[in-house]
Amino acid sequence: MSVLKNKVTNSLLASEKKSLLRFFALYMAMILLLIIMISTYYYQTQEKLMLSQQRATLFKYGYIHAKRLKVLHHFFDERVDYPRDPRFKSAIYDIDYKSIFSILEDTHVKFDEEIYRTGNHIQFVKSLDDFYLGTKYIIIEVQDDGLWKDDIWKHILAYGIFFFFLFMLFGLYLAKLFLKPMRDSIVLLDRFIKDTTHELNTPLSAILANIEMMDTDAMIDKNKTKLNRINIAAKTVSTLYKDLTFLTLEQEKENEDESIDLKILIENRAEYFAILAQSKKLNYQFDLNPAMIYMDRQKLTRVIDNLISNAIKYNKRNGIVGFSLKQGELTIWDTGIGISESDMDFVFDRYIRFNQSEGGFGVGLSIVKKIVDDYNMHIKVISKESEGTKMVLTW
Amino acid sequence: MVKKIFIIFCLFIVLHAEDAFERNCISCHENLPSTLQEMFKRYLLVYSSENNVKAGIKHYLKYPSKDISTMSDLFIERYSIKEKTTLSEKELDDAIDIYWNKYKIFGKLK
Repeated sequence: MSVLKNKVTNSLLASEKKSLLRFFALYMAMILLLIIMISTYYYQTQEKLMLSQQRATLFKYGYIHAKRLKVLHHFFDERVDYPRDPRFKSAIYDIDYKSIFSILEDTHVKFDEEIYRTGNHIQFVKSLDDFYLGTKYIIIEVQDDGLWKDDIWKHILAYGIFFFFLFMLFGLYLAKLFLKPMRDSIVLLDRFIKDTTHELNTPLSAILANIEMMDTDAMIDKNKTKLNRINIAAKTVSTLYKDLTFLTLEQEKENEDESIDLKILIENRAEYFAILAQSKKLNYQFDLNPAMIYMDRQKLTRVIDNLISNAIKYNKRNGIVGFSLKQGELTIWDTGIGISESDMDFVFDRYIRFNQSEGGFGVGLSIVKKIVDDYNMHIKVISKESEGTKMVLTW
Repeated sequence: MVKKIFIIFCLFIVLHAEDAFERNCISCHENLPSTLQEMFKRYLLVYSSENNVKAGIKHYLKYPSKDISTMSDLFIERYSIKEKTTLSEKELDDAIDIYWNKYKIFGKLK
């Protein structure tokens, strides 16, 4: 299946980026963990290797020390000088691990290990069969010069960094591979929406234009009602069409900002939706003061249309749709079903609809939020269930 | 009569001035070629720690046997093994504690 990339597809990269980042962060965390585990294993192996090399020497020292203890045992207590050797430090412990005598620098002896590192020392535990002077354990201690560690750290750092970047590149390749089906689906969906909306444009324009041109004076009342219904339906589809067009095409367009008289625009859009409002027997309530705003007319129209459309859609019969305007603040309110507190956090999410009985894709408020954010404006939702909703736009 | 009582009293004082170890051990061991120090080192060689040495000595004194003696066969052949102790448990423990403190290695090495 060949799917073309276009500007619309690029506009959806934000969600891809989020998925990519999440996958990549998780992947790299796991790689880092793996490298740390392998490095730890390597370090421990090298430490064991070093200790096994030291073991032969320390075993020899232990043997020498045991022989000296044997002599001392026989001549005790004529001789009481503990045998010392410049090559190592030592200690003797009885069978209950009680120190008989010690010249160790590090006294944290591990009797359950034969050879181990403790601080800057290597200690070797030799167990005796004949307890000269009561000695069961001879501890031999030598200084650990730490040279062996330098090489290990160099290896760990060099190989660790190399493999980290290698796996990072591999991860990027994998992420792109995993995201391809998702990207293809998005591209396909984009093309479908784009083609559908494009095909809707011509017939919708024709319907709306013809309704406008119809001479309603010559019609009988029954036909007038039917024409009104057609007009309402066509305007509903038209709003939906404009939203979808915005999503697929216009949001990537350069803004054509201009100074707009908001009072006039609101009156126009209210007039446009008047027929929808009438169908629910709603009344408009205006409190409009002169106010100007500098922004793209198409986008501002989308914001106002969506707010009015929602105020009508979710209103009760015989309710009120109110408009309050002053410089820097626009409020559109209704006396409708309201939004529950638990749903309040999700009102601006895409494809979210709290009332399934009304039509739509649930994209209206997400478009409003996107435009409002683009222009660094603020929107506040004040709502009480069964009482109504107030959308306050400030800039 | 007063003189007799005084002599018995003096004898009693002298006897009790000696500790359990001196009273019960030294008198017999004095006549042996191996010193108490040598014997102590033999116990150390076999039992290592204070608890083990004390338990080893006590057990041997209570149940003397050729098999558990730390002395050489030659020594046992020549002097045989000792008689079973008649000392009380407390006196035995006291004598062994004194023996350990007298000959222990701890604090003597330099």
